[in-house]
Amino acid sequence: MYPTILRSFFALLCALALCVSAQARPLDEVIDSGELTVFVYSDYAPYSWADGDEHKGIDVEIAKAFGKSLGVKINILMRGADENIDDDLRINIWKGDLIHRKVADVMLHVPVDKLVNARNDLAVITAPYFQEQMALVVDNDVLPTVETFGRFLNNPIGVELDTAGDFFLSSAFRGQLHNSVRRGRTFADATDLYVNGDVTALLASKAQAEWVATQAKDRQSRIVQPPMPGIVRNGWPIGIAIKHDSRDLGYALGDVLTEMINNGEMKALYMSYGVKYLEPDL
Amino acid sequence: MLKKSFLLTAGSIALSAGLFSISVSADVGIDDIVADQASSDDIVSYGLGPRGQRFSPLSTINKSNVKNLFPVWSFSFGGEKQRGQESQPLIKDGVMYVTGSYSRMWAIDIATGEELWQYDARLPEGILPCCDVVNRGAAILGDKVFFGTLDAKIVALDAKTGNVVWRKTIGDFEAGYSYTAAPLIVPTEAHGPLILTGNSGGEFGIVGEVQARSPETGDIVWTRPVIEGHMGTLNGEESTMTGAKNESWPGDMWQNGGGAPWLGGTYDPDTKLAFFGTGNPAPWNSYLRPGDNKWTSARVAIDPENGEIVWGFQTTPHDGWDYDGVNEFVSFDMEKDGETIKAGATADRNGFFYVLDRTNGEFVSAAPFVQNISWAKGIDETGRPIFDDANRPGDPVESADGKKGKSIFAVPSFLGGKNWMPMAYSQQTEMFYIPSNEWGMDLWNEPVTYKKGAAYLGAGFTIKPIFDDYIGSLKAMDPATGEIRWEYKNKAPLWGGVLTTGGGLVFTGTPEGFLKAFDAETGEELWKFQTGTGIVSSPITWEQDGEQWVAIVTGWGGAVPLWGGEVAKVVSYLNQGGSVWAFKVPEQLANR
Repeated sequence: MYPTILRSFFALLCALALCVSAQARPLDEVIDSGELTVFVYSDYAPYSWADGDEHKGIDVEIAKAFGKSLGVKINILMRGADENIDDDLRINIWKGDLIHRKVADVMLHVPVDKLVNARNDLAVITAPYFQEQMALVVDNDVLPTVETFGRFLNNPIGVELDTAGDFFLSSAFRGQLHNSVRRGRTFADATDLYVNGDVTALLASKAQAEWVATQAKDRQSRIVQPPMPGIVRNGWPIGIAIKHDSRDLGYALGDVLTEMINNGEMKALYMSYGVKYLEPDL
Repeated sequence: MLKKSFLLTAGSIALSAGLFSISVSADVGIDDIVADQASSDDIVSYGLGPRGQRFSPLSTINKSNVKNLFPVWSFSFGGEKQRGQESQPLIKDGVMYVTGSYSRMWAIDIATGEELWQYDARLPEGILPCCDVVNRGAAILGDKVFFGTLDAKIVALDAKTGNVVWRKTIGDFEAGYSYTAAPLIVPTEAHGPLILTGNSGGEFGIVGEVQARSPETGDIVWTRPVIEGHMGTLNGEESTMTGAKNESWPGDMWQNGGGAPWLGGTYDPDTKLAFFGTGNPAPWNSYLRPGDNKWTSARVAIDPENGEIVWGFQTTPHDGWDYDGVNEFVSFDMEKDGETIKAGATADRNGFFYVLDRTNGEFVSAAPFVQNISWAKGIDETGRPIFDDANRPGDPVESADGKKGKSIFAVPSFLGGKNWMPMAYSQQTEMFYIPSNEWGMDLWNEPVTYKKGAAYLGAGFTIKPIFDDYIGSLKAMDPATGEIRWEYKNKAPLWGGVLTTGGGLVFTGTPEGFLKAFDAETGEELWKFQTGTGIVSSPITWEQDGEQWVAIVTGWGGAVPLWGGEVAKVVSYLNQGGSVWAFKVPEQLANR
């Protein structure tokens, strides 16, 4: 193992011209082959997760809609998140993993951010289809009011390990919440902490928080968004990424997403997972 | 020499006869491993002896005839998987056992350079090794050879055939665990020989651990987590807790503290202790985890009988620079002020060369082995760094206005004054030969990055050479005085191990592709050979049929080619390869 920050450097390997790999492909190649490979994150309910051999979630359904619209078979490439989005784009879109060099044609759930796009010029981020926010799911009976995170000086709060929410809680109020934070190794573990009553609240994205509320059937839950001093973004649009030479594929898939948003299919899809759909705020 | 080695072999068979039934093949006994350094007709441990001194008493090749060292054969690792060869071969009974990148291993007939067998681990689809595809070597005992694979498994192969005898899991590759180090085999009274491994993984959420297994079955005998608060195990039951919960960690952060001992360990037959270095703490931002964060970025001495930590020494407490503490701890006896100290030395990522009392971990001395160290003003009399707070990376929260944060320049860079590549200690010159690099890093807070789809403040960095004309620096260090006796400067960063011999020589390889020999006393370059690709592995030497051989694995890669910025300029032109080269001095030239 090399240090965590070293791994961002692997991005540079391709710049040194060593990126012979399974190619992410332009539109006509995808259509000709009859197959589209779509990357989604693992352990990322309600967007994407594996239930045994079955792939589930909102992003998985969106992938199926791509297949239906283009008339191609969908292959789901489901992997965990790496250190940051730059690593994810490298591994899943333009270079592939170290051993098998496998990439997808398109990656879902990519933050649409000019800085990220500028840093990763071998990928193109496009087609915003959802708006992400941070939120808490809280147990109404235990915490009838949560005006600030100060509420968690003395009440245990759950979060998925090594996520944006974890970084916020670990540094909030100069570390004063240290003794209250319970970290789940995976999002599923963090969900269990809340469902089982080990914590009074869980910090995640708003959609995740809403989904956790649907899982905790024994708890009276509500979603709150207290101020998060020091947080870098209050919300951000989510789109797709394709390889830099496959822009036409991005346009075609963007059209599918726009249609789903316009005809209300997207809203219904999110609602079927207990999540309120938010249009991207650009 | 032949007679002597025959007697050694006979002796060890006789010794083990009382304990085990004698097997017909030329087995490697645990006594052979313990005494590996003294016997020069074989290499049955990583480090040419479990202390890791990388000193061979062989003197047939010396300062005057090394110029006549010529290649005998070159063996290709073949296929497309050439990159990143960091392995040290083992030698037994005329056979070389060498591992390659992508979890492969070969047995080669040394007399002819022909392949006897090859083993390829089938690596699973879901595997995402955090770092690279390297392997650093194998271990050997009885009729089996052992090595770890990228999917965090340890495999025992039949040394004669390469067939799998057993295969066990060190960690879950899907959770980010991997394995690249050479396993360590140590003797114990209670369990017989044990095979020791650390673990490695790049994901936040791992806990560093040393595991001991039976070489016969691969079953775990004990485990020792290196992070405070975790329970060890012995014979399948909980043994003791490492340190005390929350003593040096806030909240529940000890549960995922990092500290992976990914480079493996060394063993000292004298004190009967195993020494493992531990990785840096998680998360990377040190402001999130106030405290010393034990035992990350440290050396721990473990009693192989029961897996208990006998002592620990933190080189970088509360690390904030990614200064892994994994570098090898080499046991040696040091004469100082008329006394013999049972010492051990380590050249840390953080740029300081430490001498400790290996019996109890007490600090003896520290001296910088690279120039312009900026993260600390020095090491105090207790061995603790005197931090320079101006050069600790800033807290990302302090720059939450969405702008690029304050930049600091820290020396060494997180790749270390010295990285994984092992140093050597000469019993002849009583000096350490340290493969080091002179570089620093700019560190700043990125205005925004995303992890698993969510925004946070990340860190940005770039590595910079300190000097215009070189980065790599092979140094001869006097451990008693902390004085640098000589230095060889290399344009590209050094990333290969060192070997020193009774012939008064020091060998090391360079990314430019040369295997070089130096005068151990003066640093004068006496010989070099171009292998055709970069060298990032550790050389060996042994005697066979009355002749002294030298071998090196070559194959550019590892972490080195991944650097950007100014460092890339000196390595970007280097070509791939993947092979073993074997050398000797032709008989007719040996005495010239």
